[in-house]
Amino acid sequence: MFKTEEMEINLGPQHPSTHGVLRVKLHLDGETITRCTPMIGYLHRGVEKICENKTFFQGQVWTDRTDYVASVSNNLGWAEGVEKLFGITVPRRAHYIRTMLTELNRITSHLLWLGTHALDIGAMTVFLYAFREREEILSIFEAFCGARLTTTAFRIGGLREDLPPGLEKLVRAFQARFLDCIDEYETLLTENRIWKKRTIGVALLNAEDAIALGVTGPVLRAAGSNYDIRKAFPYASYAEMDFEVATQTAADTYARYLVRLEEMRQAHRIINQCLDGLPEGPVMAKLPKVLKSEVNEVYHAIEAPKGELGYYFVGEKGGQNPYRMHIRAPSFINLQALSKMVVGRLLADVIAAIGTLDVVLGEVDR
Amino acid sequence: MTPTLTQYLVISLLQIVVVMGFVMTLVPLLTFAERKVIGYVQVRLGATRVAGGLWGAQRGRTHQSRTFTGGLNGFMWWLGRWPVISIFRGLPMFIADALKLLTKEDIVPIEADKAVFVLSPALAMVAAFTVFAAIGFAPGALFYFPAKFPYLGGLPFYGFLTDLNVGLLFILGVASVGVYGIVLGAWASNSKYPLLGGLRSAAQIVSYEVPLTLSLLVPVVLTGSLNFNEMSTRMATDIPVNGLVGIGRTLLMFVGFFVYTTCGFAETNRTPFDLAEAENELVAGFHTEYSGMKFSFFFLSEYASMITVSALASAFFLGGHYLLPFGLQPTWNHFFQNSPSAFLAWTCTPSILWFLLKIFFLLFVFLWVRATVPRYRYDQLMDVGWKFLIPYTLVMFVIAALLRYAA
Amino acid sequence: MASPRYSLLRTLIPFDIYGGMKLTGKYFGKVLRQANRGLKRTHVVVEYPEVPTTLMPRFRGRLQMIKDEQGEVKCVCCMACEKICPTQVITIEKGKKEGRKTPFPIRYDFEMERCIFCEFCVESCGFDSIILNHQFELATYNREDFSHAMEGGFQNMFDPTPVSHYSVSSED
Repeated sequence: MFKTEEMEINLGPQHPSTHGVLRVKLHLDGETITRCTPMIGYLHRGVEKICENKTFFQGQVWTDRTDYVASVSNNLGWAEGVEKLFGITVPRRAHYIRTMLTELNRITSHLLWLGTHALDIGAMTVFLYAFREREEILSIFEAFCGARLTTTAFRIGGLREDLPPGLEKLVRAFQARFLDCIDEYETLLTENRIWKKRTIGVALLNAEDAIALGVTGPVLRAAGSNYDIRKAFPYASYAEMDFEVATQTAADTYARYLVRLEEMRQAHRIINQCLDGLPEGPVMAKLPKVLKSEVNEVYHAIEAPKGELGYYFVGEKGGQNPYRMHIRAPSFINLQALSKMVVGRLLADVIAAIGTLDVVLGEVDR
Repeated sequence: MTPTLTQYLVISLLQIVVVMGFVMTLVPLLTFAERKVIGYVQVRLGATRVAGGLWGAQRGRTHQSRTFTGGLNGFMWWLGRWPVISIFRGLPMFIADALKLLTKEDIVPIEADKAVFVLSPALAMVAAFTVFAAIGFAPGALFYFPAKFPYLGGLPFYGFLTDLNVGLLFILGVASVGVYGIVLGAWASNSKYPLLGGLRSAAQIVSYEVPLTLSLLVPVVLTGSLNFNEMSTRMATDIPVNGLVGIGRTLLMFVGFFVYTTCGFAETNRTPFDLAEAENELVAGFHTEYSGMKFSFFFLSEYASMITVSALASAFFLGGHYLLPFGLQPTWNHFFQNSPSAFLAWTCTPSILWFLLKIFFLLFVFLWVRATVPRYRYDQLMDVGWKFLIPYTLVMFVIAALLRYAA
Repeated sequence: MASPRYSLLRTLIPFDIYGGMKLTGKYFGKVLRQANRGLKRTHVVVEYPEVPTTLMPRFRGRLQMIKDEQGEVKCVCCMACEKICPTQVITIEKGKKEGRKTPFPIRYDFEMERCIFCEFCVESCGFDSIILNHQFELATYNREDFSHAMEGGFQNMFDPTPVSHYSVSSED
């Protein structure tokens, strides 16, 4: 008399919690997920192809627009990748400033993640508290380079300009109160029984699977691996910085939450070290007027807030633009883990899983 | 003086108008309060201006001057100069909200079961509002019509609609009909997200009706009555001033208040139990396909049931029409009943003021909690209901029975 | 983490939720007391059209051309900005003007709808003849309004953008 059938439901592309235009096709048995297929491409702009038609100098503006919540990190990856291709040595002061801004950017990215993730799980207020601090950092970016989101912060060979007067004061003021702010988020979430119930044991991804899928960043570190490019292959001035890689072993959403909070604290430490040890000197290397590449290829990876962000350049002889450019986008690769995380779990866990992967669709689709 | 039948009917009608008017005004104000309270908690201001560009701001086209001080928005702007009362900035927003909901296009999906689709919001609304028939806002007569008043002179105007001797049963019975509105509306939408929301709602009600009723059995056992007014009065006053039984009752009411409020949160689909409309998972849950006035019926019924829950909690656990909660009133009366100070003596008497203040405070708590906590997952909600609240309420019930026996 | 000794108590009584409620209640009280236009404030919102926003000195707004003290266009048509622009929003036509040694731009068109405000053009300019000004209220009702030109365009490259309805205003 009765028959049961699986329900197919589209989560997205217009949905409050898919962080953009992600579409997840779910097969539901009751509320249990039997199959989960992320569908991407709604924001595809062909950034890689565009960059191949732009000069090395121009291409940077497109990196702002891939992972738009961590544009400074993307700028750093691009700039350092191109510098590696041409063998340019960047002044030490520029490295320090880059490191500082990248770490500030890591905080903004994690704050946005924290806010939206908590909002997805139903805690509305953390979102606004996190954005309060994020705004402050965006103002610092605005003071440094004139834009808040699409920063185009660095230049190949260093920085366009030195720090503006007063920026150090802004950063110090932010630093002074940021640790208390993290404690506030923790008051609302860390011990909260509902938060713990919603996150502990949810969206599990053990280290083996994570490595097999190429997942990097906080998701991998929450599974027990301590792979952090800042330590493994130091770039910018991370080799001179004293910080710890935050790891957890539980491999669930709660562990990732703790890892990211700890990363914010470590970023806070690194920024302090950058400010204290800021060397004097120029911020721009001597560059030829026009950059012309040789036949060469480089891969340069940095630890973006979301994971390993790699830029792969192939140069052709005399070319002003890359012959081939590829972005190893951490969001894109981390998103693969989604179906592994949620199959057999409940619908509400999909939301938690999308949140905990911290995908930005601009970067997934590029 | 006993009223004639027609006089009785006229007074009843007036009472219905007053109570419905009160609830119907409180509900939109509550939506405004929700914006403001959650806004303030989230270090922002919430609604601060109304109809921008119509009266105030448009005059400020020349950007150097403060010409926007005129008009409604100008008044709002002026209010912003004062602390605390600046919370009333944007107050006319609720009128705008109501107008918007009234004038919005009323969409009925083609695939929907039209009759049920139209009826279910009405069902939810009727259930939520009928409950107020049995709620006593004041235990006795609110006031007497002055003798010169035409036709009704000298007659009492009660603070309740009916003095039903099975009032609590009526409230619980009718309130639980409201969930059919949600479930049927979700089913009739013939859409996937509402279906999930409706299923969640059905499961939630099944789990939470039990502890809710069990926690209300505590006052029933303690007072031995089902009449709302009698229960609330006796819960507040009919307690030995000292001795173990009194302390036990106070503690029991204290715990019972929190347990009942928790169940009430679940019953009214409020955070952290708002699974039926979990906007981050189910878009808008059971009312995804509803728009315009039909949507606002669901909306109104949710807020009306918030008022119901607040009224029950304040009546049975927070001392009802008396000043002090948790059965502390007799102790207070013991000291101040014969106090020479008129004010202190007045605090010993029941008043509708205390009752309303308690309702408002509880409504504030509803919003406050919503701003603070995350949302449970579907299965965890069941866990909390069956493994936590039901044992809790059963233990409370047994303790209540023992206290009753001891007294 | 709760010690196991108290974990039963912590399960029965939600201290964790109480902590969160205390924090949010604290903020509610603070904002309630300070939600006026006083100096000390906890809330972070700016009541934007009425209260002015502050911009950092390096803010990147709309592209604007500069004239020197004699009222002469500083641009000498080196085409650097046109070349560097990642979105090709600048079009310059080289020409001559009587009584001027350096080349004179007959046309300097700027299509703002595609501009991404990266400031590469300003950076590439060796003559300081263009800047990105501090205007950010750039929305218009028509697509044509986005095209800027030295003269004859819908908006003038030298003028500040006409202030729209939501303008930065000062409170007093």
